[in-house]
Amino acid sequence: MTSKGPLRDPANRVSPKAVRLWLLEALIAFVLFLGGSLLVAGWLGGSGWSWVPGWFADNSWLLPVAVAVVTLPFLVAEPFVRYAVHRWELSGDVVYARSGYLTREWVFVPVSRIQTVDKGQGWTERLLGLATLEIRTASHAGSSTIKGLDQQVAARLAEQLAHRAEELRDDAT
Amino acid sequence: MTGPHPPSQEDGGVPVPPPDDGRPANAFGQPLPGAPLPGRAPLRLSPKVLLIHPVRMLPSLLLPLVGVLFVGGFSGRSYGWAALGVVATVAYAAIRWATFTYEIIGDRLETKRSLISRSVRTIPLERIRGVDVSMPPMHRLLRLAVLKIDTGASGGDEEAELDGVTLEEAERLKAVLLHRTARAEAHVPDLAAAAGPEERTIVSVPRKWLLYGPLSGAYLLTPFALAGGAVGLVFQWGDDLGFGQDTALSVGEWLWTHPYLLLAAALLLVVAMPFVGGLMYAVFNWDFRLKHRDGYLVAERGLINRRSVSLESGRVRGYEIVDGLAERWAGVVRAWAIVTGLGDSQTRGQLLPDVPRAVAVEVTADAIGPYRSALRAHPPVARNRRLFRAVFPWLVLAVAAAVLAWVTGHVVWWFLLVPALLLAVLGVPLGLDRYASLGHGYDGVRLAVRSGSLRRSQAVVERRAVVGWRLRQTWFQRRAGVVTLIAGVGAGKGGYSAIDVSETQGATFPAEVTPDWLRPFIQPETPPPTG
Repeated sequence: MTSKGPLRDPANRVSPKAVRLWLLEALIAFVLFLGGSLLVAGWLGGSGWSWVPGWFADNSWLLPVAVAVVTLPFLVAEPFVRYAVHRWELSGDVVYARSGYLTREWVFVPVSRIQTVDKGQGWTERLLGLATLEIRTASHAGSSTIKGLDQQVAARLAEQLAHRAEELRDDAT
Repeated sequence: MTGPHPPSQEDGGVPVPPPDDGRPANAFGQPLPGAPLPGRAPLRLSPKVLLIHPVRMLPSLLLPLVGVLFVGGFSGRSYGWAALGVVATVAYAAIRWATFTYEIIGDRLETKRSLISRSVRTIPLERIRGVDVSMPPMHRLLRLAVLKIDTGASGGDEEAELDGVTLEEAERLKAVLLHRTARAEAHVPDLAAAAGPEERTIVSVPRKWLLYGPLSGAYLLTPFALAGGAVGLVFQWGDDLGFGQDTALSVGEWLWTHPYLLLAAALLLVVAMPFVGGLMYAVFNWDFRLKHRDGYLVAERGLINRRSVSLESGRVRGYEIVDGLAERWAGVVRAWAIVTGLGDSQTRGQLLPDVPRAVAVEVTADAIGPYRSALRAHPPVARNRRLFRAVFPWLVLAVAAAVLAWVTGHVVWWFLLVPALLLAVLGVPLGLDRYASLGHGYDGVRLAVRSGSLRRSQAVVERRAVVGWRLRQTWFQRRAGVVTLIAGVGAGKGGYSAIDVSETQGATFPAEVTPDWLRPFIQPETPPPTG
C-alpha cells in the first residue's frame, strides 16, 4: 500500500486492535443493512400491493440475499484495507495523517496552527482500549482526525501536540 | 497585546456627551440608580425610534384590528379596542426603549435590557471585528441608523444590535469601537493607509455599470416571488377584504379554462425578470463605494437602505472573484473578501458588485493585494473527467428514456428523451469550459485556485492564512491518477479546492507554498520542486 507520487507513507500504523474495531463496526452495519432489507422484503412481500411486481412478491427473500451478497465483500474487506491505509506521523512539527477506504485523504496539519486537540473514545473504542484523536485548526479542511490509535499512544500524542502548540502559537490563523 | 492608549481613551471609556441639542437621548442618559459610578453614563437609543417601532408593529396589529372592526361593527366599542391596541403598542415600544441601555466601560461594551428579566451582554472591544451601519427607509427619514456589531461568533445571537441611534452617535460609536480594536489588534501595518489620509476612496462604482446587474443572475426570480406573494396574500386576506376564497378559486378556475392568458402572464413574468431583477440590483448596489478608513475596508451601498460595512483590514486574508456565464461574456466580475470570523459573509463580505474585470483586479490588488502569477493547468485527464461528469448522467437518462419509449410506445418518454439528449449535448461545451476554468498558482505571497463554469470562482488567499492541507482522492480519481487538493484556510469557506490536480502537483504545490511543512514527507528520490 505504498502511495504513488512524490509523497511517502506516514511512518506509523495505527494500533492492530483497530482491525477489530472496524470489524465490529462493519458487523453492526451489516446487521443493520440485513435487518432493514428483511423488514422491507417482509413488508412488500406480504402487502399484496398492486404496484409490487408479482415475481418480487413471490421471491421477496431475494432482497436480503442480494443486499448480503453485495455488501458483505465491502464490509469484510474494509477493516483490512483501512488498517493498510490509515497511518500517521509527527515530524518537523507537522502532523501527517492518511485515512480512508474507497476515498482516501492525506492531511497535513502544522502544529503551530493547532487550536484544540481532543482525545475521544466511543464505547466500542473503550472496549478495545483505543482512542480517536481530533486535531482542530481554524479550518475544517485543515483539521485531522486520527482513528484507531492505542489509547496510551493517543494520550501521549495529544499531550505532546498540546504542549508543542503552546510553544509555537502564532495568531495568523 | 494592548498598546499604550492616550489617557483620554484610557479612563472609563466615553466622555459624557452634552445633555441637550439634537440628541434628546442624552437627556435621559443619566447614571441609573443601580450604577452610581462617577463618569459612567449608560446611553439609550434615540427616542425617535418610538416613532418607528409602533409603525413596524402595525402589520401584526392590523389583522386583529380589522377583525375587531368587522365583528363589532363600526361602533364606539370597537374603536375603543382599536385605540387600546395602538396605545398598548406604543407603550410597549416606550417601555422597551426606556429599559434598554448601552455603555462603553473601559475596554468593553455593555448592553442592558431590564424589561422583565434583566440581561446584560458584555462584548470586549477587542473582540469586535466589524461594525455594520445601515439605514432602513424610516430610520433614514428620522436621521437614525441601525448599528450591528460583529464579534465573529458563529451564532447570530452573539451579535449586538443598536436599533435606532442618531447618525452622529452611530459615527461616534463606530469610531470608538473600531478605533479600539484597530489599536488592540497587532495587525500588519497598512502602509497605504498610514502614508495617505485617514479616509481614501478606493473605488466609486459609476452608475452606468449598474446596467450589468441582470447579468449577475441576482434577484432574477423577484417577479415570480412578487406574483406568488400577491396570490398568497389574496388567499390569506380574501375573507377579510370582503371576497371569499371561493371567488379567488373561481377566478383560478376561469384562468385555467383560458390557458393562453396564463401563458401570457407567465411570459410577462419571464420578460420582466431582467428588468425587475436589474432594478432590485440597482436599488441594493446604488452608489457602491469602497474605502480605506483607519485600518478598515468600508463598503457603502444602497439607495433606500444605505448600508455601510466595515471589515478590519488585518482580518482580511484574501478575496474571491466570481463570474457567471453571462458575466464572462460581458467581461464583468463580482468580488468578495475572505475574512476570518465574519458572519453572513455573503452579504457583508462583498467588495465589488459587477464591474469590468480589469477594474476588479486593480481594486482588489489595491484594497487587499495583487496576485501576480499565471494559473497552471490541470492534467488532461481532468478534462475527460469533467466531460464525463457533464455528459454521462444525461446520456444514461436519455438511453433509459429511449428504451422505455421503445418498450411502452408512450409519447411521454419522448418528452424526457429529447431534453436529456439536449442536455447531454450541452454537457460537451460545459465540460470543456469547466476544464478550462481549472487552475491553481502561487506568486510567492498569495495562492490562487479557480474552478466552475456556470459560476466560475477564483479564490486568492494569503500564504500565511493557510492552516493545513488536505488531499482527497476518490476511487475514480485514483484510477485517473488525480487528487483534489484543498488548502485549509481559517477564513471564508474554510477550504479552497484545486480540483483534479495530478498526484505530483498535489504534493509539489503544497511543498512550494509551505516548504517547511512538506519537506519531511517528500520522497528523497524525487527532485525538490522549483519555484
